[in-house]
Amino acid sequence: MTAFVTLAGVYSTPDFRVERSREQEWMSSRALEQFLAGVEKRAFKIAQLSLRNDDDALDAVQDAMMKLVQSYGSRGSEEWRPLFYRILANGIRDMQRRRTVRGRIMAWLPARDAEDDQDFDPIAQAPSHEPNPARRLELDEAIGTLETAVAELPARQRQAFLLRNFEGLDVSETASAMGCSEGSVKTHYFRALETLRARLGEVI
Amino acid sequence: MSQESQDGAFEKRTRAVLEESAARLDGRTLSRLTQARHAALEQLQRPARARWWAWMPAGAAAAVAVLAVSLWMGRPAVETPSPMEDLEFLTDADAPEFVTDGEELEFYEWAAGEMES
Repeated sequence: MTAFVTLAGVYSTPDFRVERSREQEWMSSRALEQFLAGVEKRAFKIAQLSLRNDDDALDAVQDAMMKLVQSYGSRGSEEWRPLFYRILANGIRDMQRRRTVRGRIMAWLPARDAEDDQDFDPIAQAPSHEPNPARRLELDEAIGTLETAVAELPARQRQAFLLRNFEGLDVSETASAMGCSEGSVKTHYFRALETLRARLGEVI
Repeated sequence: MSQESQDGAFEKRTRAVLEESAARLDGRTLSRLTQARHAALEQLQRPARARWWAWMPAGAAAAVAVLAVSLWMGRPAVETPSPMEDLEFLTDADAPEFVTDGEELEFYEWAAGEMES
């Protein structure tokens, strides 16, 4: 009893509480970093296939990361994935809207030479890994064909397909991320799969 | 092969192709994703630093108030009697005795002249 009282006294000291709070913050930060590091590549691909522009996709992913940490970092880690993809989906939709408006404005302005904006960047051109040339060629073709077909799906079908198939969310998590019912997710996913199989069945 | 297992196989192949595509992201994209992640996580450190800044507006307002009060208190005291006080003084039968006293009046005129010179 004496030992308990002594320990209880130590654990309730301000120094101990501050130390424990710092430890919890550090663990939370570490868990968030692991989560973000685990989803960032797939999130970028999802944004890239939706926006068809690398810079916009990177901006959308960064924005989703910022908002998740800022607004939902204190939530349970099991909630992060659907929340993150919900934020990303909203960001992508907003960007597409802005792009539509910008497109209308730019249509009134004289066209610029796109080559003027492109500088050679050796780091950008460096591949992250190198399979053998034949396999690489085969994969290049499969990736190109699939990504084109996915990018051309209707937005909701593409979203359902990428979240279910690529990100691996279950129906409930996908519904939460898409802001719709589980029935709608199943319908969108089924239609996406049908379209892709009809188009790519022989190729992939 | 049943339709269901065909569906499953197709889903697996598409997932594998997309994962391969994600694994092939170039160095620049990977670097920017890492930067984005670090920028997002930096927000967790900011509240501790922000606490100091959060008091800045209140601190600045308090400093301005203290300065204003010290300037007000430190200024030379100049009493400017109101017109009502002047009127009360002139109509008071007891107080301004020196006004009716010829000698005293001369003294005050001399004193006023000395002060002006």
